[in-house]
Amino acid sequence: MTENGLKILVVDDESIVIRSCEIVLKGAGYHMEGALGGREAILKMEKERYDLVFTDLKMPEVDGITLIRWLRNSRPDTGIVILTGYPSQDTIKEALGLGIIDYVPKPFTPAVLLDVTRRAVQWLETRKPGAFAISAEMSSPAEPVRDDFPPAMAAELDKVIAHYKHIPGSLIPVLQRAQEMIGWLPVAALKRVSKGMNIPAAEVHSVVSFYSFFTMKPRGDHNIRVCLGTACYVKRAEEILRNLKEGLGIGVGEVTPDRKFSLEEVRCLGACGLAPVVVVDHDTFGGIDPKNSMEIVEKYR
Amino acid sequence: MEQYRAHLMICAGTGCVASGSLKVRDALDVEIRKRGLEKEVKVVLTGCNGFCAKGPIIAVHPGEIFYQVVKPEDVPLLVEEHFIKGRPVEKLMYKMPADKKAIPVMNEIPFFKHQVLRVLRNKGMIDPDSIEEYIARDGYQAAAKALLEMSQQEIIDTVKGSGIRGRGGAGFPTGLKWEFTSKSAADQKYLLCNGDEGDPGAFMDRSVMEADPHSVIEGMVIGSKAIGATKGYIYVRAEYPLAVERLKKAIKDANEAGLLGRNILDSGYDFELDVYLGAGAFVCGEETALMRSIEGQRGMPRPRPPFPAHKGLWDKPTVLNNVETFAQIAPIILNGADWYKSLGTEKSTGTKVFALTGAITNVGLVEVPMGIPLRTIIYDIGGGISKKGKKFKAVQMGGPSGGCIPEHLLDTPVDFDSINATGAIMGSGGMVVMDEDNCMVSLAKFFLGFTADESCGKCPPCRVGTRVMLDTLIDITEGRGKPGDVETLLDLCEDIKATSLCGLGQTAPNPVLTTIKYFREEYESHIHDKWCKTGVCRDLASFEIDAAICTGCGVCARACPQKAITGEKKQPHKIIQELCIQCRTCYDRCKFGSIKIGPGLKFAKAGATNAAVADATAVGGPAAVADATAVGNRGEK
Repeated sequence: MTENGLKILVVDDESIVIRSCEIVLKGAGYHMEGALGGREAILKMEKERYDLVFTDLKMPEVDGITLIRWLRNSRPDTGIVILTGYPSQDTIKEALGLGIIDYVPKPFTPAVLLDVTRRAVQWLETRKPGAFAISAEMSSPAEPVRDDFPPAMAAELDKVIAHYKHIPGSLIPVLQRAQEMIGWLPVAALKRVSKGMNIPAAEVHSVVSFYSFFTMKPRGDHNIRVCLGTACYVKRAEEILRNLKEGLGIGVGEVTPDRKFSLEEVRCLGACGLAPVVVVDHDTFGGIDPKNSMEIVEKYR
Repeated sequence: MEQYRAHLMICAGTGCVASGSLKVRDALDVEIRKRGLEKEVKVVLTGCNGFCAKGPIIAVHPGEIFYQVVKPEDVPLLVEEHFIKGRPVEKLMYKMPADKKAIPVMNEIPFFKHQVLRVLRNKGMIDPDSIEEYIARDGYQAAAKALLEMSQQEIIDTVKGSGIRGRGGAGFPTGLKWEFTSKSAADQKYLLCNGDEGDPGAFMDRSVMEADPHSVIEGMVIGSKAIGATKGYIYVRAEYPLAVERLKKAIKDANEAGLLGRNILDSGYDFELDVYLGAGAFVCGEETALMRSIEGQRGMPRPRPPFPAHKGLWDKPTVLNNVETFAQIAPIILNGADWYKSLGTEKSTGTKVFALTGAITNVGLVEVPMGIPLRTIIYDIGGGISKKGKKFKAVQMGGPSGGCIPEHLLDTPVDFDSINATGAIMGSGGMVVMDEDNCMVSLAKFFLGFTADESCGKCPPCRVGTRVMLDTLIDITEGRGKPGDVETLLDLCEDIKATSLCGLGQTAPNPVLTTIKYFREEYESHIHDKWCKTGVCRDLASFEIDAAICTGCGVCARACPQKAITGEKKQPHKIIQELCIQCRTCYDRCKFGSIKIGPGLKFAKAGATNAAVADATAVGGPAAVADATAVGNRGEK
C-alpha cells in the first residue's frame, strides 16, 4: 500500500485512539503508523519522513502545540491535522496560526476521519502537485478542492461570517478577521465571504482593492514594512526601501521566491520619533542607517 | 490601598517600547525583587511621555526625577543609588547641550518647561490600562457634571463659549457643530471619533489614545448628551494596534463601572461605544468618507450638503470630532469656558499638541498654548537643528494638505489663521523640520506621490490632476524639466483647489504652492541648470572634493559603496566620476564640509553650465569653479 508514497503518523497518548485510526485508515488503503505521545513522534520523525501527521493536543510531556511548533521548524512540508477533545476557540486559533490543515473533534466516527483525511491529502496535493498518486477510492468522488486555504480555516471563517452576518456594515471587520487568519485574502475566501454575507462578489472585491490594509497576494513568513511618512522620508527612508529592494531582489508588494520575506511600504506608523522606521512582523526598528538596511532582515533568516 | 515610597513611571509609548523600555521594566522587576524593595517601589508602565528622542524614559515620583536613554544594564546602578542610597543618578539625567550640566527635574528641562498640558494632562502620570488611576486624577467628574447637573444647551454653550475649534485640521468650531446636530430631529444620532490619523508625521492622536484612552471616552460621553446620540464609534487606523487594544480595554472597564452603556450614572442617558478598525485609506480622514467606511463600503467622500449634521452615518445626524478635540472636552466642562479661553489667541483658544519630528534635536510630542511663535517651538522646545553646522530650511506643517514655512516666517504665531496665511495649514499638528540638506522639489514630489496614491478616484480634478502634477515633478527631479513647468504647476494648483470634491483634493496642491512660493529658485535650478543643490535628486547632482578643505582623513573613501574615492592618507582625495552613483554617502560622512555638490553630469552641456559655474563660485570657491568647468568640458565630448 506504499506505492503512492503517502505516509501518515497518528500521535496520541491513548493507544486505543491509534488502534482505531489504524483500523479505519489502513482499511481505506493508507499507509499509517502510530506514536504514543509527542516525544515518540519526534523520535520517529527524526528517522523517517511522514507526509501527514494527526496529533492530539493534550498529551503529557511533549504536548500537541509543542509538537506542531517543532514540525513547523524542522519539517515544514508535513501536513498537520489535530485530533482534539477540546476544540475551544483559543487552541484552534493558536493551532491555525501555526498552519494546521484541519481538525477532527473527538470522539469521531470513521466517516469523519476518512473525510478529513481525504481533504487533507487533497490539500497537500494542491501544494505539491503530483507528489502523491491518489488512488480513485481514496480521492473524494464529488467536488475537487477549490479553496485556496485549509479546510479548518474555512470552518473558522464561516463562524466569523455567522457572527457578523446580521450586523450592518460589517464587511470590513469580516475581511480583517479573514486576513488575520489566512494571512492574505485568496479569491476563494472572498467568494466565501460574498456568499456568506450575501453581498455581491464585485462589491467585496471593490472594498478589498480600495483599502491598502487588504492584500490579495500571499505574504512571506516575515513581512517587512518600510515607513514612508514625512519624518522617515526626510531621514532618507527612500534609500532604505531601495536597499531592501536590491538586497531581497523583489519589488514592493512582492514576496521572495522562498516565501521567506515580503516587502511593503506603509504611510506612517506614527513612530516618527524613531524615524526612519522599518517594521518586521511586529518588531519596530528605528533610527536606521540606510546602509545597514539589510542587517535587520538578516536577523530573520 | 497599598502605599509605596516611590513610583517609577516607565514610558511604554511606541517610541520607547521600540527603544527597549519593556526590557528595562523586566530588569527593574528583577532588581527590585532582588533588593527586597517590592513593597516600597512600584513600577508603572505609562503612555507616551512625549520626549521620544530620549527613550526609554523613566520618571520617578516623588521628586519628578527624569531619567533618559535607560538601558537594562543601567538598572542595578539606578536601584542601588536612587532607591537604596537616595542619590539620583546624574549619569542618566538630561544634559544641557551647551554646558553638559545635568538637569534632574523634569519640568526644568527646556523641552518640558514651555509646555502647558491640557490634552496630555495625564501623560506619564497614569497607567493607561487602569480606569481607577484615571478617576483618581479627576476622571469622569466632568461626565458626571454634564450628565447629572447640566442641560444639553448648557453643555453646548460651555463648549461654544470656550471657543475650541476642531483639532482635526480645518478648525471648525466644535460647539457650533454640536449645536447644529442637536437641533436635527431624528430617531437615532451618532457620535464618531476620528482616530484615523493619516497625516504622515503626526502622531499625537496615537499618543492620546495609547496614553489616556479614557479622556477620549469621557469627552465622547459628554458630547453624546449634547447632541442626543446613543451610539458612537471610535474609528482607529489598523496601523495602531496598541491604541486599539487600550481603547477596547478602556471601553470595557467604563461599561463595567457604569460610566458607559445603559443609564450612565443613573442619569437616564444611554451611550454605547465601539471601536471600528480602519483599513488603510488616507481619504477616510474626510468625514463623509469615514462614514461610508463604517457602513462597510469604499471610503469615498460625497458632496455636501446634505451635511452630516443632517445626514451622516446611515443617513442619520452625525457628529465627527478628532481624538484631540474630545480629549479637551472634560477639562472645559469641569473648569469652564473662561478657563479654557485664558490661553491662546482670540480666535484660536486653548492649547494644541504638535508632533515635532525631522531634522530636530528634541523629537517628540509637545503641547503649547495657541499663538506662541513657531521659533519658540523649534528652538526653545525642540532644541534646534539636530545636525551640527546645518542651517534650518523650513518646517512642514499639516502633512500632505499643508505646506512649508521658511526661515523668515518663523515668528509667525501658531494659530489657525496665521498659519493659513502662510499657505500651510494647522492640520492635525505634524511639524516636520527640515535642514538645508533637504530638497524642496523632492519634498513636494513626495507629498504629491502620497496624494496621487491616496486619491480615492471619485472626482477627476483630484484623480487626474494630482497625477499630472506628480508626473511634472518627477520630470523636474529627473532632469526632464522644461521652462514653463513651474507656471503649469501653478495653473494646475488653482484648478485642482477650486474644483475638487473633498478636502483631500482641495488641499493637495498646498505643498507645491508653498514650495514654489518660498523656494522658487530651487525649482528653477532643477529645471534650467539641472542642478539639485542638496544632492537629493541623484540625476541632478555630481560630487567633488574640495582639495582646499579635504584633510585626507579617508572617511569618505571607506564609506563609499562604489570605491569611487581615491587618495593618499592625509592628502586631498578625489572622486572618480565614472564610478560615482551620486548616493551622497560621502557628503553625509565628511565632517569638514569638503564635498561640494555640482550640477548633474548627464545633462551638462557647455551652455547650460555657465550659470552653474557662476553659482559654484559663490558656493564652493575657485576649486569648485575648476571642477564645474571640467564637468562642462567632459559633457561636450
